[in-house]
Amino acid sequence: MLFIGLIASVIFMESNEVASMKKYKPLERDSNITTEKAYDQVMQVLMHPRCMNCHPTDNVPKQGDERHPHYFDMARGENDKGFSATKCAACHQEENNDYSGVPGASHWALAPASMGWQGLSKTEIAKRLLNPSTNGGKSHEELVEHMTEDELVLWAWDPGIDANGQPREVPPVSEENFKIAVKKWFDEGAIIPSEK
Amino acid sequence: MEISFQINGENRSVQVEDENTPLLWVVRDVLDLKGTKFGCGKAACGACTLHVDGEAVRSCSYAVKFAKGKNIVTIEGLGTPERPHPVQQAWVEEIVPQCGYCQPGFMMATAALLSKNDHPTDEEIDANIINVCRCATYYRMRKAIHRAAELTRETNLQSTENS
Amino acid sequence: MAKKRVSRRKFLVRGALGTVGVLALGTYVFRGSIRRVIAKKLNSADAPYMGDTSTPLIWFEITDDNQIILYSPKVEMGQGTFTGLAQLAAEELEVDVSQIKVVHAPSATGNMDGFATGGSTSISALWVPLRELAATMREMLLIKAAEKWKVDRDKIRFSEGSFYLGENTMTFAEVTNGVSEWEIPDTPELKPTSEMKWVGKPVPRVDLKDKVFGAPIFGMDASLPNMLFGSVVRPSKIGSTFKNATFSEAEKMPGVIKIVLEKDFVGVVAKSYQEAENAKLAIEVEWETGEDWNTSAIKSMLTVGKGKPFTIQKEGDVEDVFESTEVIVSEYWSPIGAHAQLEPNGALAHVEEDKATIYMSTQVVKITRDEIADRLGKDKNQVNIVPTFLGGGFGRRLHTPNGIQAALMSKAVGRPVKCFFSRKEEFQNDTFRPPTHHVLKARLNDIGAIEAFEHNVSSGDVAFGSPMVPSIAEPILGADLGAWRGGMVQYGAIPNYQAVSWRIKLPFATSWWRSLGLLANTFAIESFMDELAVKTGKDPAQFRLEHIQKDDRGDRLSSVIKAVVEKSNYKDAVVKERAMGFAASTDASTPCAQVVEVSITDEEIKVHKVFCAMDPGLVVNPDQVRAQCEGAIIMGMSAALFEKMEVEKGELTPTIYGPYQMALMKHAPKEIDITLLQGSETPGAVGEPPLGPIGAAIANAVFRLTGKRLREMPLQHYLNS
Repeated sequence: MLFIGLIASVIFMESNEVASMKKYKPLERDSNITTEKAYDQVMQVLMHPRCMNCHPTDNVPKQGDERHPHYFDMARGENDKGFSATKCAACHQEENNDYSGVPGASHWALAPASMGWQGLSKTEIAKRLLNPSTNGGKSHEELVEHMTEDELVLWAWDPGIDANGQPREVPPVSEENFKIAVKKWFDEGAIIPSEK
Repeated sequence: MEISFQINGENRSVQVEDENTPLLWVVRDVLDLKGTKFGCGKAACGACTLHVDGEAVRSCSYAVKFAKGKNIVTIEGLGTPERPHPVQQAWVEEIVPQCGYCQPGFMMATAALLSKNDHPTDEEIDANIINVCRCATYYRMRKAIHRAAELTRETNLQSTENS
Repeated sequence: MAKKRVSRRKFLVRGALGTVGVLALGTYVFRGSIRRVIAKKLNSADAPYMGDTSTPLIWFEITDDNQIILYSPKVEMGQGTFTGLAQLAAEELEVDVSQIKVVHAPSATGNMDGFATGGSTSISALWVPLRELAATMREMLLIKAAEKWKVDRDKIRFSEGSFYLGENTMTFAEVTNGVSEWEIPDTPELKPTSEMKWVGKPVPRVDLKDKVFGAPIFGMDASLPNMLFGSVVRPSKIGSTFKNATFSEAEKMPGVIKIVLEKDFVGVVAKSYQEAENAKLAIEVEWETGEDWNTSAIKSMLTVGKGKPFTIQKEGDVEDVFESTEVIVSEYWSPIGAHAQLEPNGALAHVEEDKATIYMSTQVVKITRDEIADRLGKDKNQVNIVPTFLGGGFGRRLHTPNGIQAALMSKAVGRPVKCFFSRKEEFQNDTFRPPTHHVLKARLNDIGAIEAFEHNVSSGDVAFGSPMVPSIAEPILGADLGAWRGGMVQYGAIPNYQAVSWRIKLPFATSWWRSLGLLANTFAIESFMDELAVKTGKDPAQFRLEHIQKDDRGDRLSSVIKAVVEKSNYKDAVVKERAMGFAASTDASTPCAQVVEVSITDEEIKVHKVFCAMDPGLVVNPDQVRAQCEGAIIMGMSAALFEKMEVEKGELTPTIYGPYQMALMKHAPKEIDITLLQGSETPGAVGEPPLGPIGAAIANAVFRLTGKRLREMPLQHYLNS
């Protein structure tokens, strides 16, 4: 068992380094950001494929960084959890599976249709997020809790390896800074800045 | 480590070095139940489908540690030639298999579908049954699924009448 | 009736306690020499298979409980051959099919097919010899029964595996008791077809229960006590040659027993599958690789006009017609296809000092045995290949050298080793269906008849380069008989026609894929025929009928076309947003015509109904022939609509189902209507011919819906590009 953890961690370390060097500037821990910047960081994460892929507006989950429709025509199904014989959980377990490359986390499922974001603007996404009639009746406190503590949300920063053994890209804002940004934005009233 | 579960009605304990070993290999190579097949190892083809607590699961992507205390059913436990499951009965009646390799996975997926919906429409079959069959026996499979549904409804009706 | 009788010297009887065997040592199948094959090829559009002139041998065994075991030289890969063979044997043995158990003959029994299982030849090849053997064995048993009862054999009746004399009965097994010497009679007259009880009946598959209840019958399911698991490092890049490997880390990994380094591969042997796979990742291999190939480089290589041309068919003078008049020219393409059979290649090998036993799914038992014996430095008789049921063949297992790797690893650790491909390795190390390029030319005369027709196909190798076709045969054959399968012009009433095959050696392995060139060649030819029909304004089916010659072959083709038109009520019109598409092909003498009903919704091609009329000659098992049609139609549809391998940065991709899109349940037509005609007294090819027309039929329907002529497969991919 030991060696697998070891290998996996080596792969992750290398890959995250490579990914961050190539694509992102690592963000400094920053608690003194403006509410606009906080909003912006939250949105960068929400609109990243790791999050967006399971917030479709067409009932079809997406896969990969290029967001192709889930292979085999998997769709929302019943209760956002797939179909009787092919639930999301037929393949997606409680955690990532490094052997199959199938990602996993607690209660793996699509976001409810009312929380479909794909193709929407930042402002529209934020409105859906904040509106209790589309966000499942969540208050701001509950939203903060959901966004900073839910294992399925936090999976975005531990997305595992794909079927080819390649690490998945993580969102451009670190988990820590995302949490800071979420709290900051909600603390300051979750104001949606006007689009420029 | 030791992991215990129920499989095809029997309590079994297995010793595994690696708790993340796919359940598929424990079922095939430790418990010697070879009906559950390896097709891709990536949860793509469905040949390794079995039931965990009544739900269809692709066992190549299911760490054995998650099976602890669960109830597993494989094709060998679904039914026997003497007491076939309605799905197996229908598969025999419609003479579905060609090479046969993918068929246990399809039958397990179908059994899971029928346990929740004993009257699936063609559209529901299309959405639920997304395994891969290279001999492309889909045409007969569809017939067999409808037939199995019919047999399941008969069985359900009998058990309702008897109760 | 039976002219080619099995002569006495071709029988060998092995009597053991309570058993009798009949081993035929004849030269029945593939007796044609290479030259005769060519002669046949030049005389007709037949696609004969050639072998090394050795033969399949058949062995019966009667067990104590009166079961008859037929050791089949042909393997069962889903095509239903075991069931057909049981029917043929039951017919002459006068037993119930259920009394016959068909098993794969291990090579050590001596009965091996010198060629292979493939090419839709199993039933047609064994049609006469198997029945002759069964009849002869029945006769031997009858003679012995008469001896035991001391009566004239005419007084004895027999049925269901027993002999009857008045009140007395003796089972076949009882007859064999105590017999050490057998008299081998001349082969009796075979039953005429009209008196057959089993042939022509939809007998359920003999392997049905095993396959429905999960019996461990496949190569992947083989296991032996003390077995270990092997895994071989296989290259991702095209043209990789193994140089060396470093593996000090891998050696220390959990469960690892040994890293096996050979001249051409490195493998790991471990206690479990997963441990072997894990350790494999830690092995560093040095490959010698060539160019970084990509799809467009392959495509430009593969162009009619490049490589070696070989005229495979010539009638009249097309050049003459084309020189003087306006010519219609069209080009078509087909992509690289993967076999994608569900059971990966693999083998369980147990190599001991004086023998080696290899359990595996293979279509080429003898070739595999010889290759393994050669590499192990053992006598051929010391190597026993135990063929298992195949989790799909489709041509993928017409060369299975992976048995060598399992054997060498077993030898290295002195224990049984099971080793098989990962799915990625399957996709990257497949022996692919070669991509093709077609250039078609035609001239229509004033009354809308074809005056000249030419088909040029450029293809990677199919049969050439395969161990079944010795390279010595290549110059004699000229053209790759696999690549041009289905590539000949089947409309013999055209005054001038020719077909030319251009050979290109591709940088990756290409080989036999169910129906070989038939799918691509028919797609090109029958799409082009449709173009011509549209130009003339004639009904597409009628247009074809007008160009079919009046002979047996032509009549059979005409009959299937007429049958499918009638059955489908074929109309060249779009009705309720659905269009019908028509195409026909002739493969290995079996003509097949199909009409598909297609719509396009949300840019998706949907095939609703398929009507198929086929004339495979005498049908041994109509249910299994239908099953083959249904499967071939959907598999052909899958290839025609979706399937496509690409070459990127020197690697073949994709490497998994899904990205390699294949037809699923939702794509399968809801209605498949099959009409079987019988235009011959003997069985012909079944498993591949129905794959022919489907691609063109769909493309022809799409043209009617969109006005767009799709000239490249996969069609769904090119519909909107």
